[in-house]
Amino acid sequence: MPGVEALLPRFRAAHTQVLGVSIDSIHCHASWARDLGGISFPLLADFQPKGAVAQSYGVYLAAAGITDRATVLIDSGGSVRHASSVTPAGQRDIEELAALCEQMDREAGTPTQPAPEPRGLGSDAVLYVRSHCGFSRRARVAVDNVHARGLAVRSASDDPQALDALRAASGTETAPCLVIDGEPLSESDMIVRTLAERLAPIR
Amino acid sequence: MISEGTPAPVFTLKDQFGREISLSDFRNRQHVLLLFYPLDWTPT
Repeated sequence: MPGVEALLPRFRAAHTQVLGVSIDSIHCHASWARDLGGISFPLLADFQPKGAVAQSYGVYLAAAGITDRATVLIDSGGSVRHASSVTPAGQRDIEELAALCEQMDREAGTPTQPAPEPRGLGSDAVLYVRSHCGFSRRARVAVDNVHARGLAVRSASDDPQALDALRAASGTETAPCLVIDGEPLSESDMIVRTLAERLAPIR
Repeated sequence: MISEGTPAPVFTLKDQFGREISLSDFRNRQHVLLLFYPLDWTPT
């Protein structure tokens, strides 16, 4: 997946949205993606019922309870143009896949639009977090996955000045809190989605 | 495995950011490359 992340500009230029799919949960995906150095393209949780989407593409290995390492390329009209497997133990050639997408983009003849441009967070955005807080951890994992390197992250647990600033911005001491465009967001699911929509939009 | 030339089965799943993502989101906009893989924490 890091190899794919590195080549995202090529996939974007070829009007191709990359989607990873496995049977893991969204929280498992988020932690793993951070461990890989940050994955900003969607990793989808084919989780409930387990493997249902993989089954519909004929790539679920029911005996092992996992998904095959399979690749499916779909044109913007919704037709399957390529389907292959390297088996669970194999490795994909990402360069080859990028070339395949570029070739299909030239030849498909189905309508495409440019991928959406990231809006960014604005220079005054701040994420307030607390220590030993699972919700704060989830927000920080998302920061790493969308590569929000310029975002100020301040600890309301360790830094009294940060706590004062949090109180002034939100009227509460609740963290995590993302202050963006002057508005406080204090719900971790909303913070995570906002980071993704601003820095890794898909529509 | 699904055959080339057939319509891709539709789906709606959540991603690592909690967003609901459907194949139909990309219709007439983007091609879609699906990378199925066995499990997180395995080579990709």
